Amino acid sequence: MHLSVSDVSKTYDQRGSHVLALDHVSLDVAFGEFVCLLGDSGCGKSTLLQIIAGLEPASQGGILIDGRELVGCHPDTTVVFQEHGLFPWMTVLRNIEFNLKARGMAAAKRHEIAARLVETVGLAGFEKKYPHELSGGMRQRVGIARALATSPKLLLMDEPFGALDAQTRSAMQAELLRLWAAHRSAVVFVTHSIEEAVFLADRIVVMTPRPGRIGRIIDVDLPRPRDPTSEAFVHHVKIALETLHTPRALLAPS
Amino acid sequence: MAHRHLRRIVLGLSPLALLLLVWHVATVAGAYSSVLLPAPAAVWLIFVDSWPDLLRHTGTSLVRVLLGVGLAFVTAVPLGLLIGRFRPVEETFDWTIQIFRCLPGIALIPLAILFFGIGDRPAVILIWFSAFWPLIITTIFGVKNVERTLFKVSRAALASNLMVFTDVIFPSALPSILTGLRLATGAGWLTLVSAEMIAVKSGLGYMIMYAQVMFRADQVVAGIILIGAVGLFFDQSIQLLRARLCRWQDGLVIQ
Repeated sequence: MHLSVSDVSKTYDQRGSHVLALDHVSLDVAFGEFVCLLGDSGCGKSTLLQIIAGLEPASQGGILIDGRELVGCHPDTTVVFQEHGLFPWMTVLRNIEFNLKARGMAAAKRHEIAARLVETVGLAGFEKKYPHELSGGMRQRVGIARALATSPKLLLMDEPFGALDAQTRSAMQAELLRLWAAHRSAVVFVTHSIEEAVFLADRIVVMTPRPGRIGRIIDVDLPRPRDPTSEAFVHHVKIALETLHTPRALLAPS
Repeated sequence: MAHRHLRRIVLGLSPLALLLLVWHVATVAGAYSSVLLPAPAAVWLIFVDSWPDLLRHTGTSLVRVLLGVGLAFVTAVPLGLLIGRFRPVEETFDWTIQIFRCLPGIALIPLAILFFGIGDRPAVILIWFSAFWPLIITTIFGVKNVERTLFKVSRAALASNLMVFTDVIFPSALPSILTGLRLATGAGWLTLVSAEMIAVKSGLGYMIMYAQVMFRADQVVAGIILIGAVGLFFDQSIQLLRARLCRWQDGLVIQ
């Protein structure tokens, strides 16, 4: 699967005035690639993710998946939401089954897949728990398991670890890389943490706000697992930091 | 756990016991003539002696209220789900609902008698009417409070419209719907007893009116006690239902 963001702009109507959230954004993501959208709040990174997911229409331009214009949501794409988006009245198992049920899979088959995924994300023994009985990190594991259930070719993640404490967060990052290595797919991961982006991504798309544009794309050619204290790692963090804080006029055109 | 149950029962019954005591003292002191205010013992005798009659009237009333509230549930909840979900449906029905929900069911008794005569039909229809509005309003409220993200999750999952209703909107709105059911049974029961005093020749309301005409204050009070007891029974049943169906809320909300 190949994702192509083709000249996408997005304007919002906000109390009568037009707000330009995304300004002519183009981006290509190949299958198997891990791409982070990095930027401060208001840079349009979440909006871009919603458009790629087919949850919001672009005002201009469009999304191509394997060369075909995206209309609505794509069956090979799944989304992991900020604050997990779990159904509070469903147990862990039923939450994971949801996407499969929506595709009309028979109950026995989806139990089987969900039960296996519970193991994969390290939640064995918690199948019958409700989301509020879990810690933040465990909830997000459920969210990821649900997203993986349909074996997506494109996994979209909207600041999935934003609400977690630092320790849980770094554990979840390592976990995500492990899952990504096992369930090869393209990942587009939204974050405002530079370290997170450098730790995870093959490529970092640094976005700048008002209007949301791509400032620079940074290739991260470091072997995994990455050591956040290594010189190369810190070097990449520096580049990203500079891009985030450099006035747009100084950036090379992307 | 057993300790908490015991405490609940003792605390819950204490105001009622106090009331009973005051009542007893008042009759012993002769505050009113016993024709007007029967002694607790006299009322107790009614329960002992005429329990088949009481049971029959209570049964009749119960069937009517269950029928009327049941009818309200199967009509108000689906319509409420649609109104809460689809803006144009809401825009269509909003004003109508706001007008009709302000009419007390009791005010419609004369019309109900004109249209449906005397008997079960006007009673059931009046209960349906009284129970319909609290149910539809709480259902709409429940749907509107479904977390927005969950709709996105459903869309991204390619869930059908039907599945969104059965697996997302309904369970999410269920606690609110059950609150509505609690209000609806209360309203239905209130309307029923009033309706029975006028539009029907059986049931607890009728029994009380008839006893009044016969100067049987003891029967009147027995009827009042039964009305209250059934009201409490309904309320507790729905609470129990809610505890069973909405177990996922344990620890999330104060119940």
